[in-house]
Amino acid sequence: MSAALHPGPAPRARDLLLNGIFGENPVFRLALSLCPAVAVTTTLLNGVLLGVAVLLVQVLSSLTVTLARRWIHPRVRIPIYTIIIAVWVSVIDMLLAAFTPALYAQVGLYVKLIVAFAIIISRLEVFASRHPLVPSFFDGLGMGLGFLLALVVIGAMRELLGSGSIAGFQLTPGKPLLFFALPAGGFFSIALLMALFNRIERQVTGGSSRPSAGGGHG
Amino acid sequence: MNGGRSEIVRITVTMTVVCALAGLVLGAAFVATHRYRESADRRTERRAISDLLQLDSAATVVEVRQLFAPGRREVIYRTAPLGAAAEREIVFGIDGRLVASGTAATGGTGRGEAGAARDDDAPALIPLGRMFVAFRGGTPAGFVVEGESRGYKNRIRFFVALTRGFEIAGVRVVEHEEDPGLGAEVATPAFQGQYLGRAAADLEALEVTKDPMPEDWRAALATVGRAPRDAWRERHGALLARERGKPVYAVTGATISSRALTDGVRETVDHFRRRWALLAPQLGGPS
Repeated sequence: MSAALHPGPAPRARDLLLNGIFGENPVFRLALSLCPAVAVTTTLLNGVLLGVAVLLVQVLSSLTVTLARRWIHPRVRIPIYTIIIAVWVSVIDMLLAAFTPALYAQVGLYVKLIVAFAIIISRLEVFASRHPLVPSFFDGLGMGLGFLLALVVIGAMRELLGSGSIAGFQLTPGKPLLFFALPAGGFFSIALLMALFNRIERQVTGGSSRPSAGGGHG
Repeated sequence: MNGGRSEIVRITVTMTVVCALAGLVLGAAFVATHRYRESADRRTERRAISDLLQLDSAATVVEVRQLFAPGRREVIYRTAPLGAAAEREIVFGIDGRLVASGTAATGGTGRGEAGAARDDDAPALIPLGRMFVAFRGGTPAGFVVEGESRGYKNRIRFFVALTRGFEIAGVRVVEHEEDPGLGAEVATPAFQGQYLGRAAADLEALEVTKDPMPEDWRAALATVGRAPRDAWRERHGALLARERGKPVYAVTGATISSRALTDGVRETVDHFRRRWALLAPQLGGPS
């Protein structure tokens, strides 16, 4: 997060996007918002829907904070960030309920929980509050895409192993490893994918990369 | 301490402005979406009703709304074909005595407000609930009653379908905010299947137990949504007969939600039977 601590020249859009998706992937790298990632990713479709909702909330909240950062009193920034996130979550919740009722019936319960996703407020705190509009937009987009990617991969893996299907299409008879559809299986899935993520990264960067952060919660 | 005081003012002003803006955005979003949400909800509702009653094309459904007029101490039932404007109004005193019956559109009961003012949000009328009566060949073929109950977090809104012999033909939660993985399980076909086939008269004694559900019953309930209801009931006839006398098995870790739905179903059916005893002669069915 060195870019956030020393707001020198504005980082480039491409770097910010890649940083969110790979370098500081919210789930696999920062290990933030693991609980919701586990709760909703029992199927691929749930992962996609919630990932898109988080992406929208992240981008909209980052934009709001970067535009309003001059007027946000630093002592009360946390309640203000919380209100901003809550507003966008509610707006998206209302839009989903009105225009995609079938999908809302499936993920409506989880959408409200986005209010408490650690990744969103942490990006507002470390990035959007210190950078201008364009970089904040790309940081929010990159983080949102990174989270979406993580939810999709975890959701696909758990649906395949836990229910033997992908996006609702049954591939195997019965449920091969029901364990993966249960919450504990979710954590195992994330651990396995995190290891894979680290391995790929190490091969790409020639072993110089630091290990995954871990220790996050929320 | 002048600086401190001006900080108080600044922080107060900032927070107030933020809250006002948040309110504006939320209000605008609500105004822009609630009409679509309501029509989407109505569509879902209609699908749930025809699904619960397993209606064919020969059946028609009439919506009956119950309203209470506190000033006149009267209970008003308005009937309308599903999705259409009210066409009939039946008025009872709170003692159950029939006061008037006539067409609502022309103000046929000749009482109270003028015809145009007889809509749902007339402030003097308190809505008490809704039910849907399916008619086949002029006689009632089944009922869906809307009920509400206080769940673990928020209200649970549900439909109870009854056969004309007052046996539960299905329970469906249509709105709830229970916890995913715990209380939300009461909205699954497997949990709701536990009410199937119970007679209204037996609900009075229906309890919720924390005992583990027998494995064969669990396995049968896991398939309840996948086959046509009658086929499912036929296949598991022996199990159903055995479990009908047993309590409802609570969702593990969600006894409160399980109890909330069960109590709600019991109360809703109880109210319905009393209402129907009054209404049946007016609507042409057995009471």
